[in-house]
Amino acid sequence: MDFKLSKEQELLRDGLTKFLSTRYDLEKSRSVVKTGAGWRPEIWRAFAEELGILGATLPEDVGGTGGGPVELMVITEALGHALVIEPYVDTMVVAGGLLRRAGGEEATSLLEKIVAGTAIVALAATEAESGDRWQDVVTSAERDGDAWILQGRKAVAMSAPLATHLLVTARAPDGVSLFLVDVEAAGAGLSLTGYRTIDDRRAADLVMDGLRLPTRSLIGEAGQALPSLEQARDEGAAAICSEAVGCMRKVLADTVEYCKQRQQFGVSIGSFQVLQHRMVDMYIELEQAVAAVFLAVLHLEDKAEVRARSVSAAKATVGRAARFVGQQAVQLHGGMGMTEELAIGHYFKRLTAMQFEFGTTDHHIGRYAQLSRAAEVAPQTVESAERSHSRKLSRSPRSFDSPAS
Amino acid sequence: MDLQWSAADAAFRDEVRNFLDKKLTPELRTAGRLMTSVYADHDASMKWQRILHERGWAAPAWPVEYGGCEWSLTQHYIFSRESTLAGAPSLSPMGIRMVAHAIIAFGTDEQKDYFLPRILTGEVFFCQGYSEPEAGSDLASLSMSAVDDGDHLVSTGSKIWTTHAREANWMFGLVRTSRGQKKQHGITFVLIDMRSPGIGIRPLVMTSGEEVQNQVFFDEVRVPKANVLGDIDDGWTVAKYLLEFERGGGASSPALQVMAEEIATAAAEIPGPGGGVLIDDPAFARKLADAHIRTEVLEILEYRVLAAVAEGKNPGAASSMLKVIATELSQTLTEMAMEAAGPRGRAYQPHATRPGGPVTEFEPPPDGYVSGEPWQAVAPLRYLNDRAGSIYAGSNEIQRNILAKAALGL
Repeated sequence: MDFKLSKEQELLRDGLTKFLSTRYDLEKSRSVVKTGAGWRPEIWRAFAEELGILGATLPEDVGGTGGGPVELMVITEALGHALVIEPYVDTMVVAGGLLRRAGGEEATSLLEKIVAGTAIVALAATEAESGDRWQDVVTSAERDGDAWILQGRKAVAMSAPLATHLLVTARAPDGVSLFLVDVEAAGAGLSLTGYRTIDDRRAADLVMDGLRLPTRSLIGEAGQALPSLEQARDEGAAAICSEAVGCMRKVLADTVEYCKQRQQFGVSIGSFQVLQHRMVDMYIELEQAVAAVFLAVLHLEDKAEVRARSVSAAKATVGRAARFVGQQAVQLHGGMGMTEELAIGHYFKRLTAMQFEFGTTDHHIGRYAQLSRAAEVAPQTVESAERSHSRKLSRSPRSFDSPAS
Repeated sequence: MDLQWSAADAAFRDEVRNFLDKKLTPELRTAGRLMTSVYADHDASMKWQRILHERGWAAPAWPVEYGGCEWSLTQHYIFSRESTLAGAPSLSPMGIRMVAHAIIAFGTDEQKDYFLPRILTGEVFFCQGYSEPEAGSDLASLSMSAVDDGDHLVSTGSKIWTTHAREANWMFGLVRTSRGQKKQHGITFVLIDMRSPGIGIRPLVMTSGEEVQNQVFFDEVRVPKANVLGDIDDGWTVAKYLLEFERGGGASSPALQVMAEEIATAAAEIPGPGGGVLIDDPAFARKLADAHIRTEVLEILEYRVLAAVAEGKNPGAASSMLKVIATELSQTLTEMAMEAAGPRGRAYQPHATRPGGPVTEFEPPPDGYVSGEPWQAVAPLRYLNDRAGSIYAGSNEIQRNILAKAALGL
């Protein structure tokens, strides 16, 4: 067992961290949210051209660097630490994964654009009728000669207002399918209303009223989108779990520093035992979240039920940690923690939103329970889980370091 | 001992309902329902106060001779619950529920005659000047100075977390007139005319984007000694008296029960994680039931404290306990409302709400588009604003310190 990063992974982390600490200013990024476009294209270009992280987990044949879940973890944690609002997870992880698994000419050419930083792709899967249950799609897709006609609505499609392309789920005669929509070419059949989210990102509601798409817009096989969607959701969840760890590291460090400096009753408030214990509890939650991210990341390429169970364990753990650490960071900062004047308020909002994205904490606890039960009913699943686990171990037998080393 | 309402109580409830039916305009109801914090839209709140005042119900808890009502505790509770249920906007607590009680207890006849009727009509609108940047939980270490200058005190310094400082025309606050051995000595309770020269106000933008709180700066502001409440250097006595009203003077359970009921209604329509609606999700249903149980228990606790107060007893440490329970329960409920709002609970849509102060750094989407229902826009803002509950009026850590000492003798 080995929790060490490779030399390359360390370089990736250090390069990105350095870039963000010198070039990514919290105040500037918040002001583009409030009065500007909602993101900074020059940062995105730098992600593509200077850092090369827009293809971090995409294969080399589309220009990517072919990294795996560990690279994803390293990058998203750094992005979380700097509270980056640009749509990295939505485009590179969620849409990138869906396109890569679908394959085909359209998907491949779009992947190349994602890597180059010229395409922003957002998934529109959530509907008001089904909330977070992406499998219960009401939006319909009908064949009409050599076109597809989409009819329906999507709610809170994250990053959609910034997107050049949308991946839209719809129910075709064969079942749930995935369609690629070029936003500029969509015409009057698509209307998109964008708005801010509480964590200073952008989302949109979509109305597709007879949206006419060419045949090639069907991505992957008709009716076969669900397994890939499930995987995209797991990968998105794992990525924001790691992002949350970055946020929490920053929030805990800021809180400890504030409590050392803030004087009340003639002493620093950090000298009060009740606050010390609170911060220790925040630290314990954070360390569990770090471990949970490893759990998710190291099983992200396993078979579906192993992956799903690990991701649910991680999302539930990180959700609980994000809630406690975020809320207590505000509490310990007092009124200042509730303002826009310190970083803490901004991080708190992101840590709040994360608890609900890609499935709520309760959803993931429920899914974990279901998957565990299914594993008991069908013992061969457990065996296969164990097999895959031991495979993982035998693949990285380099050292037996403790997590602390 | 009994928990039943008498026939007279039922008749009173009908009278209140009837009044609310007639007098709460749709506009006021909207302002009440779409509140994003404990503070209603200022104009709506003042409008409602004037209507209540016409009926003699603006300050039911005051002594009758100053314009209060001769209500039983049950009647106070009924009034509070019915008002919340009907969606009435809240009244600012600073005047009616706080400083007025100090004026009644410590004021001169001139102060009572001037302020009390004007607080009732809304002509005088108070904000509170307690906390300072370096004196929050440790309130008694406040340092805003007030120097004796004949008939005046001349005050210089700064107050922070001043709710509605821009809307208020008066402030009640604590200033430092001398420094004794104990920091509680030498504090004076003053009433400051906000139109006095030398006052500057900086709004604080909260995480909800709302500007309800402010920092207020004082540069040699002249305060007539006639506006000192109680004795010079003995303001801590007045402040302590008031803090107990702030912490335990009202009943929170009616509003919390309404919140729990509204969440249940919403959760019966919102899709749940496992198919069906959210209220069918056992995890959510249990959490909501747990919160509901806590509101029922809080109601009885509040009754017991109110009953003691009605007998002329000081609520003392019990008000600290009620503050802790009520604010933490409110935080639980606002969090559940956000969960019930589903994905739309993450949309930032202040234009669909009626916040307690302006939201300036925000441009609504075209045609004022709202994703989902207005309550879904309210939910996240309430969640964010409600984090203040465990911070303001003496943080819950401070309340637990008080309880350790006063209730357990530790």
